[in-house]
Amino acid sequence: MYTTEVHQKSREEVIARQQQEMLELSTPVVKLWEGILALPMIGTLDSARTQIVMESLLQRIVETGSSIAIIDITGVPTVDTLTAQHLLKTVTAARLMGAECIISGIRPQIAQTIVHLGVDLGDITTKASLADAFAIALERTGRAVRRVRAGS
Amino acid sequence: MERIPILRMGEFLLVTIQVDMHDRLVTALQEDLTSQIAASSAHGVLIDISSLDMVDSFIGRMIGTIAGMSRVLDAETVVVGMRPAVAITLVELGLSLPGVRTALDVEKGMVLLRAATRRRLGEAGDGRDEK
Repeated sequence: MYTTEVHQKSREEVIARQQQEMLELSTPVVKLWEGILALPMIGTLDSARTQIVMESLLQRIVETGSSIAIIDITGVPTVDTLTAQHLLKTVTAARLMGAECIISGIRPQIAQTIVHLGVDLGDITTKASLADAFAIALERTGRAVRRVRAGS
Repeated sequence: MERIPILRMGEFLLVTIQVDMHDRLVTALQEDLTSQIAASSAHGVLIDISSLDMVDSFIGRMIGTIAGMSRVLDAETVVVGMRPAVAITLVELGLSLPGVRTALDVEKGMVLLRAATRRRLGEAGDGRDEK
């Protein structure tokens, strides 16, 4: 009986630690360019994760002085009303600090779901791919990418 | 009673909040600021809250109210330097401050304010003075 309890307890500890590690691993905030941050989200968004994501994004915005953040949800399998709510909160918090958010990587199914659920994304800029979002971010910071010679 | 200083910078007013806000201080600021805008006919107000690390719903709402009052008095308001914790608190309180312009720091806020006033003055003059 005692052995089983100890065994169970140690396994629970392992699971808890792995969960914590997964939380830390799955939410990197990367700097794409001077003043442009990207947040590639992977996996399901629940309240605990969104909280961590929001905090790390806002912290990085302050550290780097970035005025644009791109939230890429390519790796998010499903979007429900709660997830959308979390996304909206993050975007609003970033706006309050003076940074603008662009949501990218919205798959066709997710676009359909969002509209079917009646979620209002308001005046948030949304793009289908990260490349499009990056292009608009460069444009808003007064930059452009050009080809210097004919490529293959 | 202590008051928050309102500095004049050209056609803008600069308010830097460097102490913890309590309700009476905010109400006093609101009165001082509106009378200053009216007296100096300022076109813009920049509120720096980078040292503010605690907000409640009252202060959050007051920031929105101050911006609204300034707009009525024909001055654009930019709130700059909000800390992450403050931003999260305001969002969780359901205060998204619609209609308030925000910027990361004072420098970016000034750029935003200048652009906003220039655009508005340009509209008012139909661009005739650009010749």
